[in-house]
Amino acid sequence: MTTALPAHNVGGLGGGVGQAIGDSLAMAGRNVRRLLRAPDQVVFTLVSPIMFTLLFRYVFGGAISGLGHINYVNYLIPGIAVQTAIFTSGNSGFALAEDRASGFVDRLRSLPMARVAVLAGRVTADMLSNATGLVIIVVVGLAVGFRPHSVPGLILGFVLLLGFTLATSFIFALLGLFASSSQAVNAMTFPVVFPLTFASSAFVPTSTMPSWLRAFADHQPVTIVIDAVRDLTLGNVTAAQRAELFGGTSTTSLVVQSLVWTLGIGIVFGYLAVRRYNSTAS
Amino acid sequence: MTTEPGHDAAVAVHSLVKTFKGDVKALDGVSFEIPTGTILGLLGPNGAGKTTAVRVLTTLLKPDSGTARVAGVDVIAHPGKARTVIGLAGQYAAVDEALTGMENLMLVGRLNHLPRGEGRVRAVELLEQFGLADAGGRTLKTYSGGMRRRLDLAAALVARPPVLFLDEPTTGLDPRSRIDLWVVIEGLVAQGVTVLLTTQYLEEADRLADHICVIDHGRVLASGTSTELKAKLGGTAVEVELADEATTARAAEALRGVGDEAPVVDGLLVRVATSSGLATTAEVVRRLESSGLDVRSLQLRQPSLDEVFLSLTGRPADETDADVDTAEAS
Repeated sequence: MTTALPAHNVGGLGGGVGQAIGDSLAMAGRNVRRLLRAPDQVVFTLVSPIMFTLLFRYVFGGAISGLGHINYVNYLIPGIAVQTAIFTSGNSGFALAEDRASGFVDRLRSLPMARVAVLAGRVTADMLSNATGLVIIVVVGLAVGFRPHSVPGLILGFVLLLGFTLATSFIFALLGLFASSSQAVNAMTFPVVFPLTFASSAFVPTSTMPSWLRAFADHQPVTIVIDAVRDLTLGNVTAAQRAELFGGTSTTSLVVQSLVWTLGIGIVFGYLAVRRYNSTAS
Repeated sequence: MTTEPGHDAAVAVHSLVKTFKGDVKALDGVSFEIPTGTILGLLGPNGAGKTTAVRVLTTLLKPDSGTARVAGVDVIAHPGKARTVIGLAGQYAAVDEALTGMENLMLVGRLNHLPRGEGRVRAVELLEQFGLADAGGRTLKTYSGGMRRRLDLAAALVARPPVLFLDEPTTGLDPRSRIDLWVVIEGLVAQGVTVLLTTQYLEEADRLADHICVIDHGRVLASGTSTELKAKLGGTAVEVELADEATTARAAEALRGVGDEAPVVDGLLVRVATSSGLATTAEVVRRLESSGLDVRSLQLRQPSLDEVFLSLTGRPADETDADVDTAEAS
């Protein structure tokens, strides 16, 4: 103890990309461990999407039109999946606010680790938790009649969705870095997520909405991601169905638009969150 | 460089100023130094600026002005480098409740970039040293308050930092756990670690700190060793306790001219202020013996650190200054 430690990391910025990745993995590992030790938390977030699935599949589903002869359950599950995934990504904000409140973030700030790792480890862990949730949603979907056209289509759609939730995680992470408490983050998450997921094509085709709402719903990123995932899982969409469901937009265009939104949100909010975390004033 | 004051100090703080929203001056020109291998007790009521000072020194907060060096590293200019030489534990630095003791220490080792094997060895070593070897595999939820604080301190020591910041490390602990932690801290200093300790417990500062720095409203009110601070307040006194209150006047009469001032009677007590403790005590004993009075006890007494504190800050150590406290929390 009388000798000072050997300098493991003297680099002011955290010693390069390799170290940043190592630190991020260490943080992701810690976050995943936490999630695994509170599985009830993960399961609980799936209760309401499962109830929504049953509600829309069996109660409202029969009354929904404008589907171009597509089985409603095949229409519904991608919408539920996207909604669930976005809500789940809200955990990034909640958990960060908790770590700030407990003083754990202060400990991390006093360590010679890459600063970006706290955020990167957070969103990575939440993406993994999201992937688990999506598997459960698909299983529930299969039980109530969901039949994706092909497994590769389903996987491709969900990879696209997970990428998008990685980006939305940064929105909530930013909230979590500003909020005064984890409860405040929860309170803020709902009004952000609710309009984006309900004023979208998640449950009903936007063609049934009043024009002012449709103008919003058709162009907001959640609808675009839902449509891309839906298109990929449905497979074999006829030209008439494509016109009815996706306004005639091609699969490629939907996927590219989704990726552009993902990158845009990820870069802007990732940058803002990292900057907020690095400003030592909080 | 060598002529610069504080070059040999492990921690050197000069004229730190930090103002929070609402013009609350949490630090208003704080300066102090800690010689290598010693403990400085930063003593002050809640909201005095203790935590703000620690946050600046541990790179969690940028000051508005002033300088701060830890182990020769300028913490404001080179926070990344400073983080390799410090350990932070106490009130506001937490460990993860959902992880086990072992996992917590290994995580900190990994984030300090210790090779994985070394991190494991170090974690085991620390658990052993802190009496947590049996609890290492349990999550912290099952730990008592004292165990948690010990693990928190262990986490700060994983990378063997030469300078340790302990922010109210024993606040909220029961007396037994507090003493356990004191022994651990004394052991660390014996090994050459330099410690900045903030506390509201005067007893803690009195026992642990080589030097004490009393701060309030972001200013250093006084500093020195515990003995020096007590001497500043008025030095020592010989205190005689008599068996019978009726005899105090006679005792005071008998002791007239012994101390620096006339003896003071207070209940059963007769107090003789003095600057030459031992000689005065001998003379007091001689005179009381020849007077034949029934004396219950006699002691050479210094003012308590509590009295020093109260006279400096005008309020007891555990009283809260609500304004600054809110600002510090935000």
